[in-house]
Amino acid sequence: MQELVLIQPGSTLRSESAREAAQSETRREFEERLAECGPLAYRVARSVLRNSADAEDVAQEALLRAYRSFDRLRDRNRFRAWLVRISFRIALDRLRSAKRRDQRDILWSQPAHHPPAATAEDLAASSEFQLHLDRALAELPEKLRLALLLAAMDGHTIDEISALLAIPVGTVKSRIFIARKQLAEKLRCHVNLIKTR
Amino acid sequence: MPCEPYQDALVDAAASGAEPQGELRAHLAACPACRAAFVQEQSLFSTIDTSLHAAVNVEIPASLLPRVRASIAEEPAITRGWTPSWLALAGAAAMVVVFIAVYAGRHSSGGETPVPIATNTSSPAPNVLPPHDQNLNAAPPAVTNSVPTIRAAATRNPAPRNAVPEVLVPRDQEALLVSYSEQWSQRKRAPLVASNFDPTNLSLLQISPIQIDQLDVKLMTEEHAQ
Repeated sequence: MQELVLIQPGSTLRSESAREAAQSETRREFEERLAECGPLAYRVARSVLRNSADAEDVAQEALLRAYRSFDRLRDRNRFRAWLVRISFRIALDRLRSAKRRDQRDILWSQPAHHPPAATAEDLAASSEFQLHLDRALAELPEKLRLALLLAAMDGHTIDEISALLAIPVGTVKSRIFIARKQLAEKLRCHVNLIKTR
Repeated sequence: MPCEPYQDALVDAAASGAEPQGELRAHLAACPACRAAFVQEQSLFSTIDTSLHAAVNVEIPASLLPRVRASIAEEPAITRGWTPSWLALAGAAAMVVVFIAVYAGRHSSGGETPVPIATNTSSPAPNVLPPHDQNLNAAPPAVTNSVPTIRAAATRNPAPRNAVPEVLVPRDQEALLVSYSEQWSQRKRAPLVASNFDPTNLSLLQISPIQIDQLDVKLMTEEHAQ
């Protein structure tokens, strides 16, 4: 294989300074988006994991991954959608690995199994219905779950969710509708039980 | 009044949040049990929505953004993907330029095609670019290197827009190719081109004499007699 080496004397210093300028510009641009989209990453992770500490870890990881790949994102307007997907994916992975770990722990220490520690905030937020809701949510298909969670978040219209997930508005509506119906199917009996007490 | 046909429609209406329409509306007006069930369904969806809203719109921990900023600060500088790919792009661009030059040269020289030169070098015959510009005499020869694993470096001089592109050339073929390039630019014919070379560097073509076995000629009468 023939190898050609092209040298541009005098251009090295210029390209170095240009690279540094581009990097600082990238950092500045990412910093702007961090303040705007950081809470979104956290909320997506929190809604999947139901645990503040884990959600914070996942949001940090998602934002860090987003930063590493930020330079390759051509359409910066797609950053929010991109971040939502990364956060959701990492949160799901962590949830699955936590489930696997819990199952392993149950097998290893059957008599002395304790549920994973939750923060005071988590405990305060979780009522009996909330626990059932969490379970029902976890059983929803991923696509339905993400659409429903985004719809429940403040400031997300159907159009915005459509843009975030890159799906038509009609699909967003039907996903939310089906997700709510499936949740209702699972929670109906629990609501009736709670009311009759 | 049978209520079963309206059960699904009742749940759908409660799930969508829209007011019941048509037959369902008429049925609800006439059936207190279904009306109560519809109110219960609406209450269920309302509870789900409220709980979801509360669960999702949590306060952001104050430590999140500082943690992310600290992680980013520890990150090594982002390496841009285009830096190494420039070399590949430059190589590809050089190949394209050479190809275009060859193609344009063949078509602009009135159908004349370069005649191969007999050389005594053992290396493969190089591809020679026909001229496509009148400034060729002043420009370095444009020749591609077909010998693999040869590493050559050249300095890039600022060239005018119409100049022939620089191409790397193996050292042992430089003189030969320069000479050929000049000959070609002057539109010399193949014999003239060949005559300008040092004959000591050229080995004569050795052609062995034709070997013909002696013919065994027999008369037809002899064959018939046998």
